[in-house]
Amino acid sequence: MSDRHRIELRWRGRNGRTGRTEIVRAESDESILDAAERADVGLPFGCRTGACATCTGRLLTGKIEHLRPPRGLKNDSKEDGYVLLCIARAKSDCEIEVGSDVQTDLVTNPWK
Amino acid sequence: MSDIESPESGAHEHHEHHHDVEGPGYATPQAAIEQADREKISYVPSLYVGTDVDAPDFLSVVDVDPDSTTYCEVIDTVEMPNKGDELHHFGWNACSSSCHVEGLERRHLVVPGQRSSRLHIVDTKNRESPEIVDVIEPEEVYEYDLSAPHTVHCIPDGEILVSMLGDKDGDLPGGFLELNDDFEIEGRWDPPGEIGMNYDFWYQPRHNVMVSSEWAAPKTYYPGFDLEDVEKGNYGHEINIWDWTNRTVEQTIDLGEEGLIPLEVRFLHSPEAAHGYVGAALSSNMFHFYEREKEWFAEKVINVEPREHEDWDMPVPGLITDLLVSMDDRYLFFSNWLHGDVRMYDVSDPKNPRLADQLWAGGLFGPRHPTGEDDREVIAGPQMLQLSIDGERLYWTTSLFSTWDNQFYPEEAERGSVMLKADVNPRKGTMTLDEDFLVDFGEMPNGPARAHEIRWPDGDCTSDVWQ
Repeated sequence: MSDRHRIELRWRGRNGRTGRTEIVRAESDESILDAAERADVGLPFGCRTGACATCTGRLLTGKIEHLRPPRGLKNDSKEDGYVLLCIARAKSDCEIEVGSDVQTDLVTNPWK
Repeated sequence: MSDIESPESGAHEHHEHHHDVEGPGYATPQAAIEQADREKISYVPSLYVGTDVDAPDFLSVVDVDPDSTTYCEVIDTVEMPNKGDELHHFGWNACSSSCHVEGLERRHLVVPGQRSSRLHIVDTKNRESPEIVDVIEPEEVYEYDLSAPHTVHCIPDGEILVSMLGDKDGDLPGGFLELNDDFEIEGRWDPPGEIGMNYDFWYQPRHNVMVSSEWAAPKTYYPGFDLEDVEKGNYGHEINIWDWTNRTVEQTIDLGEEGLIPLEVRFLHSPEAAHGYVGAALSSNMFHFYEREKEWFAEKVINVEPREHEDWDMPVPGLITDLLVSMDDRYLFFSNWLHGDVRMYDVSDPKNPRLADQLWAGGLFGPRHPTGEDDREVIAGPQMLQLSIDGERLYWTTSLFSTWDNQFYPEEAERGSVMLKADVNPRKGTMTLDEDFLVDFGEMPNGPARAHEIRWPDGDCTSDVWQ
């Protein structure tokens, strides 16, 4: 059995503008990245195994589960709601912040 | 062996030399200097991974022929079949180490995806318009419990060796993947468990040695650089000395605090030389390694002092990210990606490098418009280097790694990389920035791209090894 969830993907706005939003439907047995690709919505990604964090998103509302340990995320990032969309499966309707800016939140210049 | 004969006795026609059997490459480094044509095109991996440009990475064919009407332009691109690869380092199927192998051609590039673990085989038969002919998918690589392909070197007899930085999950340890001359995975080259971490490598057959260096686990460096990982010991500080024929580590040299993150490894080109260099990026030291009475040693020979910057809380390390040795083994060049300079050292005495010249372009301390105020600005510092075989032209690009670029030079994602060039005078030991040369990867059809390593079709100062 497979449930469908409504996933709202939100990009950050730049230069004072509102970011774009896309709605995709995700089966409960597919990754959110796969669901987005199926809907022809491009998200950044790399390894597809949860190691590289290129596909980092931030869960704003809803529930997801990672299919395997999200190796590319440190514990505090996980606690802050960051998720890896290549291995994340929706457990409910979700709102997720996406785009390359979200990954850059994870690492700042350590000397600055 | 025929390859120690005087090059004067050989034919001077391009690609032809005095071996018993015809093969790719040049008989000696000196033969390469004498016989190689001037570089006219270069291949440069170009990236969209990790940005909001929804397109695959690609290989750029860059026109570096000043007599051409498309000089300094990307004249063709080879788009990868998938998104998300992070093309990084790449290499030839054959180099001068396979000089004796009949029928083999230096024609195919092995172009790995650092993040995807996918390996692309690009045929450059048509040099100006290469094409992908084969792809090894990540699942095939994971079967050997390896991921994150980095350095590609051809090895004698037509095989290809690829350093792999992680296991199939992006954890440690890495190892080496071997491909055969049909670009099929032959297997794992090394017995598992020989090394903890992996990065770059270079081998020197006459000394039966390979030297490999260390970055970190993919899951550590992929998301970006975190000082906490340094404190936890998650970054490398050792080099491994291998028995080349037995494929086992004979010695591990700990470079200590001064050798944090040893990246690129370059031997001198002479097949007789038992000297090389490895650059420790984070500690910003250059180490000289050498053999004495069957034992290998590594000594710090150059230190780049950290510098204060008004916007930074702590002194900024130079961050040596790439180095190379000129084909005549006389000069060592390296880049300080954070500071923004390229340095040239006379290494006639390999233990005592002497600073010959230094130039500045971009980075935190170099000029933002090094090629002229009307030209586009250079965001990041000099990174991957490539030198012409005759040692007279040094080229470089400015992207390091997508997530690290975003951390240290976030504007590069918006503006893309550049490729720059200096004219080198090997007689005087000087470099002069060529203000008429700038390749702008900010102007690519799908949006600004990052540019990485540089290779010439006929081999270069970081590809060729001699048996």
